[in-house]
Amino acid sequence: MSFDETRLRQLMLAGLDGDAGAHRAFLEAVSQMLRGYYRRRMGASAAEAEDLVQETLIAVHTRRDSYDPAFPVTAWVHAIARYRLIDHWRRTKRRGVSVPIDDAFMLSEESDASEVDARLDASVLLAKLPPKQRDAIRLVKLEERSVREAAALTGWGESDIKISIHRGLKTLAKLMREQTP
Amino acid sequence: MKTKSLIDALANSETETPHKAGDARWALAALLGLAGALAILGAFIGPRLDLGASAGVTFAKATFSALFAAAGLALTARLARPGRPAQTRARMLGAIIVLSFAAAGIALLGADPDARMRAWTGGAFPWCLVLIPLLALPAALALGWVVRALAPTQLTLTGAAIGAASGGLGAMAYALHCPVDSIAFVATWYALAIALCAALGAIVGARLLRW
Repeated sequence: MSFDETRLRQLMLAGLDGDAGAHRAFLEAVSQMLRGYYRRRMGASAAEAEDLVQETLIAVHTRRDSYDPAFPVTAWVHAIARYRLIDHWRRTKRRGVSVPIDDAFMLSEESDASEVDARLDASVLLAKLPPKQRDAIRLVKLEERSVREAAALTGWGESDIKISIHRGLKTLAKLMREQTP
Repeated sequence: MKTKSLIDALANSETETPHKAGDARWALAALLGLAGALAILGAFIGPRLDLGASAGVTFAKATFSALFAAAGLALTARLARPGRPAQTRARMLGAIIVLSFAAAGIALLGADPDARMRAWTGGAFPWCLVLIPLLALPAALALGWVVRALAPTQLTLTGAAIGAASGGLGAMAYALHCPVDSIAFVATWYALAIALCAALGAIVGARLLRW
């Protein structure tokens, strides 16, 4: 499956405007781009690459307000993917590895739809979140309730729920990075 | 965990996300930083005693400093969002620093040899090397705050840009105090102080801007 800039951009902009289906399609396309990108650079470990794919997907999701529509969305994804990779190397102390700045995505070549389980278990990580963030994520993201339902169930405000989810996802991403050896 | 279930979890609630690229936060952060610098100046350092008589040259020194602030801000704002080319803005900032050193050199060549040393050093320790970075702190905090809410991917360069922008803003406030008016002095030491801020920003930014 290959997604060109025009298609990906449409999905991204529709997702930003609140279209959940477009956002899902965007994340699926991005996950394939990322899988190709990381597998080619991690070499040995497909599971390690999948950890990075998931970490980066969360970053792409939580930081999507940082996309500037005046520039290509593939460049935006690539910059985040590259940043996460360098950050990963920094954490694992594999210094001295350089990533060429202009190795743009070759979508059709690098895309990879086959998936391995990442080594991290979300439920274990979820348990480490503060209760409010954990409940907000569990209700809305895992049990697929609407923000309004979650607000009614917990007695928290809707914006409170959204903020807790947002913070919780950021904390999750941080926990995932810390767990990656 | 399967990546598919992660995507399901991320995408199942539709939330509209504001994504306007041009935003007022930069101007606000710069103004806050400048106000903070002026407050520190007013409380601890004080304006030069002949400020009334030297308003013209003070304004010129503040405008010179504003050049760095503007170039630094433009680069910071560009780098805060991933995937946007920043080379042109980075070169602009570098060029302004190099050009001020060149201006200092030319001014010194034209100066009377006996007065040259005094024109260059201002006759004392160049306090701006210490005070400009100090006055840059409020702007650095305000800009760092805005940048951290976005997604910088070149942390060292972004830190340097924040440093240069805040150094420029700090120097604008410092111009109200600085009693030395020679071109060679201002072009050398202000630019050096701002470059120092950029270097500090690069070191600190690489750590504090991580996300």
